[in-house]
Amino acid sequence: MKKETSNIEKHKVVSHEEWLAARTAFLAKEKDFTRLRDELSRERRELPWEKVEKAYTFDAPNGKETLAALFENRSQLIVYHFMFAPAWDAGCKHCSFWADNFNGLPVHLKHRDAAFVAISRAPLAKLEAFKKRMGWSFKWVSSAPSDFNYDYQASFTPEQSKSGAVFYNYTKAPMDMSDREGVSVFFMDKGGAIFHTYSSYARGIDILNTAYNYLDLAPKGRDEDNLEFSQSWVQYHDQYKD
Amino acid sequence: MRNDGSSDIKNHAVVASKEWLAARTVLLAKEKEFTRLRDELSRQRRELPWEKVEKPYAFDGPNGKQTLAQLFGKRRQLIVYHFMFDPEWDAGCKHCSFWADNFNGIPRHVEHRDAAFVAISRGPYEKLAAYKKRMGWSFNWVSSLHTDFNYDYYVTSTPEEVQKGLGYLNYTMQKPYGPETVGISVFYKDEAGDVFHTYSCYRRGVDMLNAAYHYMDLLPKGRDEADQGPNPQAWVQRHDEYTD
Repeated sequence: MKKETSNIEKHKVVSHEEWLAARTAFLAKEKDFTRLRDELSRERRELPWEKVEKAYTFDAPNGKETLAALFENRSQLIVYHFMFAPAWDAGCKHCSFWADNFNGLPVHLKHRDAAFVAISRAPLAKLEAFKKRMGWSFKWVSSAPSDFNYDYQASFTPEQSKSGAVFYNYTKAPMDMSDREGVSVFFMDKGGAIFHTYSSYARGIDILNTAYNYLDLAPKGRDEDNLEFSQSWVQYHDQYKD
Repeated sequence: MRNDGSSDIKNHAVVASKEWLAARTVLLAKEKEFTRLRDELSRQRRELPWEKVEKPYAFDGPNGKQTLAQLFGKRRQLIVYHFMFDPEWDAGCKHCSFWADNFNGIPRHVEHRDAAFVAISRGPYEKLAAYKKRMGWSFNWVSSLHTDFNYDYYVTSTPEEVQKGLGYLNYTMQKPYGPETVGISVFYKDEAGDVFHTYSCYRRGVDMLNAAYHYMDLLPKGRDEADQGPNPQAWVQRHDEYTD
């Protein structure tokens, strides 16, 4: 039996009255945290934008589409940078976990004036085959014909990787992967000009994973301390054995 | 430079790439601080005491009657989403349905962190099963109709409480919106098979479990609910009921 389990078995157990008192005290902290979250979101919206000057074209299920077309008549666009290098036969396991979390959301986001799209470097045929295998319905396009992934720090050229210092998550650091995860947001004004408003990478996308937010409520939490790496337990949803 | 004044967001600051990066990097430091605070809050949550579940509950599910202990399957932890579905209703609550679109894909994953996931409602099992089929969901959903479960975990108010306009909700006495309220409860089953209630949250406490809102919080327009009237979620529809 693992050590953590035996510790958790000795957890403090109290009467209903005491339970409520402790829980109610903690609620005040949770409410503070929620207000802090609202405030951070407000500050985020105050960040300046940068104009997108380059023309990007993507391979989409209905042919070539520009970045503007991906907005589908909304004024905001959310891009999930899904790690899928051209040589791979399946998308990244961890991005697939994130996708299991966002697959049901585009229909709702659309009604808050935001289109949602996943973008990867792999050819469209590979994206579509993998999407079918996983039973997903979100829109997924290939950035193969463009510099998009490189410009938004979701992919790195072999030269960049070899240089030992790649710019990712707003810092220069060694990078042994050709592709990384992230979320980027764009705004299109009525004149059709497009602006890059926000990007987040690495642990910045942690809050977008509902499963983790549920695990954060559980007695054992994420329980990843004794693993080879924190997400080594994650599998494609069709490959868990039990 | 400013964006053109004809869009919903007028005259937002537009800067050169270098300035954009500088401003973004400053916010990143705040975001990282916030993430660490979130980890710390989760740690403190795990220190809360537990209470033993003394009452036997039997739920109606796809496999007939199941006790609370059985809902764990072979896992030690159980996450319950209290899905608002009054026995009189023909469809589940619109807003809980939005939350369900967020959690439908996750039970397979949380199971592998030793946690079973189940939605529980007072609606009779046949109604839950029919609605689940209509919505194309796959999560486990059982009925608490023949138990006190919903009342004991403060997600259903009695007719008297509703009539009086006063009930114990979200850890305080306040006015119930109606018979049902939303929540999440967490349970632990020890080696001996005893079940403990470890945590519950209600109302805006479940906001963290809606990733669509987390994505909206990254948008220029944010949640954009200021014009929705008394119910900020008035825009929410069941995913098969949006008309455009």
